[in-house]
Amino acid sequence: MERNLTHIALFAALIAVLGLVPRVDLAAGVPITAQSLGIMLCGTVLGAKRGALAVLLFLLLVALGLPLLSGGRGGLGVFVGPSAGFLVGFPIAAFVAGWIMERTTLPPFWAAASGGVIGGIGVLYVFGISGMAIVLDKTLSEAALLGLGFLPGDVIKAALAGLVTQAIARARPGALLARA
Amino acid sequence: MLTLTSPVETPLHRLRAGGKLGALALFTFALFWTHSALVLGLGLILVAGLYLGAGGLRFARHGLQMLRPLWPFVAVVALWHLWLEDLAMGAVVVLRMVTAVAAANLVTMTTRLSDMITVLEGLARPLAPVLPPRRLALAIALVIRFIPVLSGRAEQLAQAWRARSGRPPRWRLFGPVALAALDDAETVAEALRARGGAG
Amino acid sequence: MTQIPSAAPPGLVLTGACVSLAGKAVLHDLTLHLQEQRIGIIGRNGSGKSTLLRLLAGLIAPSTGRVQVEGVDPFRARREMLSHLGILFQNPDHQILFPTVEEELRFGLEQMGLPKAEAQAQVMALLARHGRSHWQGVSTATLSQGQRHWLCLQAVLLMQPRSILLDEPFAGLDLPTQARLTRALAALPQRLITITHDPGSLAGCDRVIWLEHGRVAADGPPEAVLPRFEAEMQRLGGLDADADLAG
Repeated sequence: MERNLTHIALFAALIAVLGLVPRVDLAAGVPITAQSLGIMLCGTVLGAKRGALAVLLFLLLVALGLPLLSGGRGGLGVFVGPSAGFLVGFPIAAFVAGWIMERTTLPPFWAAASGGVIGGIGVLYVFGISGMAIVLDKTLSEAALLGLGFLPGDVIKAALAGLVTQAIARARPGALLARA
Repeated sequence: MLTLTSPVETPLHRLRAGGKLGALALFTFALFWTHSALVLGLGLILVAGLYLGAGGLRFARHGLQMLRPLWPFVAVVALWHLWLEDLAMGAVVVLRMVTAVAAANLVTMTTRLSDMITVLEGLARPLAPVLPPRRLALAIALVIRFIPVLSGRAEQLAQAWRARSGRPPRWRLFGPVALAALDDAETVAEALRARGGAG
Repeated sequence: MTQIPSAAPPGLVLTGACVSLAGKAVLHDLTLHLQEQRIGIIGRNGSGKSTLLRLLAGLIAPSTGRVQVEGVDPFRARREMLSHLGILFQNPDHQILFPTVEEELRFGLEQMGLPKAEAQAQVMALLARHGRSHWQGVSTATLSQGQRHWLCLQAVLLMQPRSILLDEPFAGLDLPTQARLTRALAALPQRLITITHDPGSLAGCDRVIWLEHGRVAADGPPEAVLPRFEAEMQRLGGLDADADLAG
């Protein structure tokens, strides 16, 4: 019981800390922050259920008014803004990434990277793009065009999620709860 | 922990958090229900009036800063509708988005974290059989406690890296920081057990 | 006061306790009865002393054998254990669970079943008694290392346990902080069990137990055990044998 609770809480804190990491600008000036890497890691390291709960806890703190989203954003406003769909998709993305990690027998890097791509990009974009379509009153394909700018950064992050998960699997196999 | 609650004390700070959240929910619902630029414009004026009337210029400027992440979207929508020559629709989208976010931020800026948590505990009461309120409060406290601990750990790791390398660590830090979070989770679980568990 | 069953011997009792971690035996068949007021447990890194602390504290269960604290199994009865046993961890950052000082202090009392208001009153009284009322809402992250140690100790003392387990209590503290902590500990009416690798901090104990490879190497008054321990550590330090990996 205690271990579940502390893992969920510490990974919610990890998502916040990764959002504080200064953003690295990709070539075209597209900023990437490590926050969505944190979302992916919640799933690939903690597993589907705990990972999704960690993300929910993180979002709860954002809603309560803590500036934990990358760039110091937070509060209730972000849940009605154009990126709200991404926030709704966060826990589901973590769940799917975790589910892939748990249910496949792929080696850790490939399982986590594909979890990152399918959950952290595929599923997340469905929610994010739908959200932008609703708030900005655009069609889905128009909104998708806006979301594409983030794709290169997110592909890199899925690969990083694979590398980090693999490193944990090697350094501390017992700590990789998704595969425990 | 730094919160987004404004240090400028406004009369809105003294209103009950539950009431503010209820009003916000109704207001947001109305914004997404109407398609009249006039009504939305009045809504924005109302929100702007609340910022200025309750908190004054400094408070309102802070509120404007919190809207900054919206401007790229505003620009895209404006250009888009300029191109389509459908300015009325563009105005509706922009007004609705800005007003909704500004109103929500206003509640955040005028409500203390402890009051928010009290409302949350009330809202979560029906969940008590699955999620005891004490455990939820404990989880929230743990996150707030361990954000500075974990970011301190990340800073230490970055310094250890720089001490032995000419280049900044960038992404290579993510693995060790995630491991630190896992290790902390184990020791904190132990500390929690030492004081009677998570109940 | 908690009722102690009359049949149970007071203090901490290990009976043939073994602990294996990840398939490796760490503690072998320990039988000890700890009832003195000041007890030191000394050993090198890897001697099993931290595992012994966790075993006594009920954070882990013995693989075989039995552990009893005031007649109760500390692993099973965690809540009940709160009034019997407090634990002071080596690193305050691993012990402090809450963002503010008052929440940290209040937690243990609430865990023991006190209503929030009453727990809060006790916390405020404690802070006032130490002239630190202004600490109430202070963020635990902003406290200095020594202040964090103080907070951890007070959080344990508020629960008024019969015995306190101390894990390397002086590690990483500067000399004034060490002196203050030594004085604070010496004044406590509780039974203190100090786990350390530093013989210097055990001179005033009633009893010292030297642990080596998970077994008791020596057990007796400090003047009998500590010189032998130091001589052996000197001898080991002279050897150049640090290449063996554990496990």
